[in-house]
Amino acid sequence: MMTQRRQSDAVIVGAGASGAVAAARLAAAGFEVVCLEQGDWTGPADYMSDRPEAELAWVERWSPDPNVRRGPADYPLTGDADVRPVMYNGVGGGLVQWAAMWQPLLASDFRVRTLDGVSDDWPIGWSDLAGPYSRVAREMSVSGLGGDPALPELDPYPNPPIPIGRIGMAAARGMDHLGWHWWPGANAIASRRHRSLQACQRRGTCMLGCPENAKATPSLTHWPAALAAGARLVTGARVAQIPLDERGRARGAVYVDRDGVERLEPAQVVILAANAVGTARLLLLSASPRFPDGLANSSGLVGRRLMQHPYRTVAAVCEDPLDSWQGPWGQSIYSLEFAETHPDRDFVRGAKWMVMPHGGPMFAVAEYQEAHSHEGFEALWGPSFHRAAAEVFGHAFTWGIQAEDLPEDHNRVVLDPAVCDSSGLPAAQIEYTVSDNTRRMLDFNVARAVEAAEAAGAVSTYTRDIWPTGIGHVLGTTRMGDDRQGSVVDRWCRAHDVANLYMIDGGVFVTGGSANPTATIMANARRVVDHMIGARASQEVPS
Amino acid sequence: MSDSGPTPDQRLTLARLADVLVAEGLGMPAASAVGVADGLLDRCLDAAPALAEPLLALLDEAPADDLDVFVRGLAAGRPDDFAILTTTVVGAYYLSAEVRELIGYPGQQPSPLSAAAEPEYFEMLERVYDRHPGYRECP
Ligand SMILES: Cc1cc2nc3c(=O)[nH]c(=O)nc-3n(C[C@H](O)[C@H](O)[C@H](O)COP(=O)(O)OP(=O)(O)OC[C@H]3O[C@@H](n4cnc5c(N)ncnc54)[C@H](O)[C@@H]3O)c2cc1C
Ligand code: SF4
Repeated sequence: MMTQRRQSDAVIVGAGASGAVAAARLAAAGFEVVCLEQGDWTGPADYMSDRPEAELAWVERWSPDPNVRRGPADYPLTGDADVRPVMYNGVGGGLVQWAAMWQPLLASDFRVRTLDGVSDDWPIGWSDLAGPYSRVAREMSVSGLGGDPALPELDPYPNPPIPIGRIGMAAARGMDHLGWHWWPGANAIASRRHRSLQACQRRGTCMLGCPENAKATPSLTHWPAALAAGARLVTGARVAQIPLDERGRARGAVYVDRDGVERLEPAQVVILAANAVGTARLLLLSASPRFPDGLANSSGLVGRRLMQHPYRTVAAVCEDPLDSWQGPWGQSIYSLEFAETHPDRDFVRGAKWMVMPHGGPMFAVAEYQEAHSHEGFEALWGPSFHRAAAEVFGHAFTWGIQAEDLPEDHNRVVLDPAVCDSSGLPAAQIEYTVSDNTRRMLDFNVARAVEAAEAAGAVSTYTRDIWPTGIGHVLGTTRMGDDRQGSVVDRWCRAHDVANLYMIDGGVFVTGGSANPTATIMANARRVVDHMIGARASQEVPS
Repeated sequence: MSDSGPTPDQRLTLARLADVLVAEGLGMPAASAVGVADGLLDRCLDAAPALAEPLLALLDEAPADDLDVFVRGLAAGRPDDFAILTTTVVGAYYLSAEVRELIGYPGQQPSPLSAAAEPEYFEMLERVYDRHPGYRECP
């Protein structure tokens, strides 16, 4: 028999970026909150980043690909997608492993239909997120420089920007020469001691866990306050279903605990924050006679319109030493020169570029070999093996180029008919093809980035094709909108079909922009939760 | 990996395979010369234990002679196995203190942030500001 607890005000599924914002905010406002997270805590004791073997962590334990990592909390991602998502499943979600690049969307990203005649406009605009952007930037101890003319005005970041280093200076000189846009990168990495974070020490192992506690991650920035305010976080709790009562309202969340016991966590309001793959999967798992195609799916859009920012890189090899293993491995500088639609180009919308270090020798050599694989065995192995390190190591920077992929119905998350996770729940099958628009966009941008590298004095460059595993950006599978036929949630991220069900992760994005999404995911979660708190205060209880 | 780790024979085979991949050249030592099949292998497998089983199976499969042909065959037709072998060899090679010193890599060491290398930064930023048309206005 299923065990059941007393009803709380809200149950949140997922303790990652958006779930942490919601839990901290709701608990501070006096809500009784429970968060169910399938994974566990990850902390300094689990990091390998201060060991000489740090780079080998990528191979397995700290691989961002759950299919490689195969941790107890990971569910398989199946299917033959052009780009397969990556993610981290545990307290902090993707922010355990993220590179901490902090990038608000462009103002135009909210009005793509109006401005460029494609996709859809968001039901909200930039001004709806301006306040929340600033509030979450403070919670995340972001270091950055305001005033970028490519973006609307924001409050100053709480910490000064991280110095852009030699790699950033080299890249910026190239952009300066060409007269192209660049700006020092904002990162959720503390340039000085701030709130719960220490000052960054440039170790460059940010995506393997920061041993200095300088990178913002919810177990430092949000969970301590949430727990202190009374939130309850249950780890090892894999949510299997959102059951409905006879009135069609969510009763809470049914989860499987570490011992395989099924439990119901009843709540007045259910908030899904399991990321765009996990939330879509859970809605599909929650199909019922009332919702045979998946919970809250009368629009048919649950799981569809998955966006992932297909990604390519251009490496610039320079004469001068650039110390390019040094961190942070966030963004040193970025460029929005080609982020907007331009009538002379054969694609709509655009890409964001960011400069990054190349990591340690194993990573730098692997990238080089991947880019030169067409040259064959002789060129890469044997005595030639050392060419890569000799040419590149410590002398290169990378322009990472992430494309705005437009939402397309056929790019989607479905339930795998055969493969299951360790709790016996169907895996998420990913169907995703890179569109011609995206390919043309990436080809164009890569060609420009090669020019930028040459203008920066690069003696050679090499490029990589679209990465077959994604960069951790998953968006769009439960999009928001005012029209219930054409969207899953309304502008307050409440399901059109179920009055007390909310979704607050990246699934609600209408279009993806080209910005790294987490600043917007967290700001939007904050906006939605503040609205819920306000509604309760004025007695319009949304439950 | 068995509790005792790779056998001496397996280590010997790995040393020979490793030298096909990472030979002496450009002032750098060959893989076996820095101990890729010895202590560095143990550190590598400790850090990435999932490599062990497929690696040891490959080492058992490798022929006594013509290792060059064997490695090229993996490269040409068995990408997953080739990746296991190269990840182990390259990963272990760059753990070597001698190799790190030769390529000038101190490891991912802490060093405080400093803006010393950025003299013309503000002038360049000023120019970005001056030439930018401003963000695209939206209705
Ligand atoms: C390697 C890497 C680098 C990245 N770098 C950046 C960057 O530099 N900048 C940036 O903006 N973004 C970056 N991202 C993306 C960023 O991590 C995500 O945008 C962000 O974490 C998404 O937040 P979320 O709340 O939607 O979901 P997540 O943070 O993914 O959290 C979802 C949580 O839900 C849990 N969950 C899922 N299903 C269930 C279930 N059924 N039951 C219980 N729990 C469940 C998961 O275990 C997970 O902890 C990166 C991602 C990765 C992987
Ligand atoms: S570079 Fe900074 S943020 Fe990254 S791991 Fe090092 S200290 Fe942490």
